[in-house]
Amino acid sequence: MKINKKYLEVFIFLIVYLFALYMWTLPFQDNKVPYGEWDAISHWELGDFIAQRDRTFVNLPPFLDYSYGPDNRFKPHTLWYHPPFHTDFAIISAFSNDRMAPIYITNAIFASAILISVFFVINRLFGFLPGILSAFVLTFSMRDILPYLWGQWPERFAYAFIPLILYCFYMYYTTYSKEKSKPIYLYIMSLLLAVNVFIHPMVFFHSLVGIFVFGLVLIIKHKKIPLNFRHIGIFLLIFILLFAVFPYQSGNVIVSFFGSSTPEDKKYSPLSRLLQWSPNPKDFVGSVPESYFSFKDMHGLWTLPFLLIGLLILVVRRENRDIFLLAWLISLYLVLHRDLIGKFMFLHRSLSASAHIFVPITMVGVLSIFSFFKILKVSKSLLKYGAVILVVALTLVYNFPAAQSTLDKAYDSPFIRINSAQVEVSEWLKDNIDEDDNVSVIGPPPEIMQKVWWMASYSHRTSHYFEGFLTWGTFEENRDEVIRYHILNDYIVFDYSDIALLSDRSLVERWSTFEEQNFAGHTLLYNKDNIRVYKYELS
Amino acid sequence: MNFPKIENIGFIGIIIAVILVFFFFILGFSGMMSVLGIILLFMVPFYLILDNFDLSQDEKIVFSFFIGVGIFPAITYWLGMLISFRIAILITFVILIVVGFVMRKVWKKNS
Repeated sequence: MKINKKYLEVFIFLIVYLFALYMWTLPFQDNKVPYGEWDAISHWELGDFIAQRDRTFVNLPPFLDYSYGPDNRFKPHTLWYHPPFHTDFAIISAFSNDRMAPIYITNAIFASAILISVFFVINRLFGFLPGILSAFVLTFSMRDILPYLWGQWPERFAYAFIPLILYCFYMYYTTYSKEKSKPIYLYIMSLLLAVNVFIHPMVFFHSLVGIFVFGLVLIIKHKKIPLNFRHIGIFLLIFILLFAVFPYQSGNVIVSFFGSSTPEDKKYSPLSRLLQWSPNPKDFVGSVPESYFSFKDMHGLWTLPFLLIGLLILVVRRENRDIFLLAWLISLYLVLHRDLIGKFMFLHRSLSASAHIFVPITMVGVLSIFSFFKILKVSKSLLKYGAVILVVALTLVYNFPAAQSTLDKAYDSPFIRINSAQVEVSEWLKDNIDEDDNVSVIGPPPEIMQKVWWMASYSHRTSHYFEGFLTWGTFEENRDEVIRYHILNDYIVFDYSDIALLSDRSLVERWSTFEEQNFAGHTLLYNKDNIRVYKYELS
Repeated sequence: MNFPKIENIGFIGIIIAVILVFFFFILGFSGMMSVLGIILLFMVPFYLILDNFDLSQDEKIVFSFFIGVGIFPAITYWLGMLISFRIAILITFVILIVVGFVMRKVWKKNS
């Protein structure tokens, strides 16, 4: 039986992509409780809130307004991101009738969409093998996996648009002539740029730099400017219309872009900075691990020679498709050095886009090595498939273990994921107290603070006085004030469900003594699984 | 590589079935429904719209996903201000499907 090659290639891509999704969903396959850092909390709760409330909103609800009220610099107290990304989560959550898995699986598909766009573009420009190998190697890209786990969700997805936007520009430019052209690519590029700005504005600017560099190089090479006012007019009209659909968030993009950047001392001379690829890891101590800045740890040293060979081939050959990759690389370099023009914000985050362009260039290098030698066509073909096996083997030996272990063990500590009792009380709070009411959780020490943030998120209730109350020195000075404003007004949660995790038993004593002294005789509303909820009532 | 034509319903059906079964096994029913929702709500309406243009099969599939995730929720978001969010999802879906079919009819008539 002869198998259709097209079908076979689709199945191979399907296997690679499903395997990638199997890997990327490891953190929640066995434990369907939300997880992640502060950013992840905000993204999850935005989607979850819309789905649970069955309404969208312009003005932030109280529990979001407390944390994110000033984040929209154009129109405070409204969403600081364009709504589509989180509305996507809400749509899938509502469609699947579940709060956790749909949002996380949608995010995993979004975050791994870079595999789809890189495969699509590289397959179209360079053929199936470089495309599928790029998708396979990107599955284990730690520069993508780490920010995905930390919670920089929209940014991960937004990067997947860059190759597609450049591809549309490439198609429009290369098919353009006065007699015949395909403006549909320009219009799709406009739609993709608008969606790109909806997903993450920082990456949208990266896309613009990419178009500028790519366009400039193509114009210099071909001495052709595709100037059709009708096409450009429709392109601008589509973009402006979509940009105007969310005026508050688009206004925020403009205000933030032209607003003053936080001044920072210049740490390096411009020349030394230009010669460095990434920012200095020492500037990010405490927020980003040093390994994130290491080529060896993120890409694997074995890719370096192939990357350099690939680069050499692109520079020497300079076909349109080669210029495509080079322009993409140069645009990343420019974006990574924007600190030289005073734009420091989220500089390290742009580094997370490096694998997206390094990997395809590396695969071009791997599969082009044999073109240097004069050998029989049959041998060349055999050697090419040998190189494919080599890449797969090296990836499985050097890149797979770190990716697998990071994803498999991510957030599996009971200190950072809320337990079933905490889920239950959060649901109870959501269903039984008003949206404007505040909830304070008394007790948890810093090591389990992350769970308290998740309880706030899960319950959709304001919780601006979460804990450390009994242990943190900061509250000793204004203890009376805190009691006056919070204990007397809030719903108070005493959560002993994690007692077994705590090493400091004396804290538990203080905790329970505080409860007995201050809450005996007040209304106990909830009492289950070592968690109690009170409403303080003045006698 | 050019993807097989979407008209090959059997092949497309097998692909979607494999995807859904895979997600059912790793993430259960809601995982499977999530993926079905992404395909049905974000991709299908925009595939029908893009199908009216001179694009290759794989271009239509990929662009429909990346455009769908931005435009579908944009419509749903504003409708969700006025009516139930769940109904807004349904209305958005119907509107976009109708747009796809109307475009096809108009395009065919003019060609």
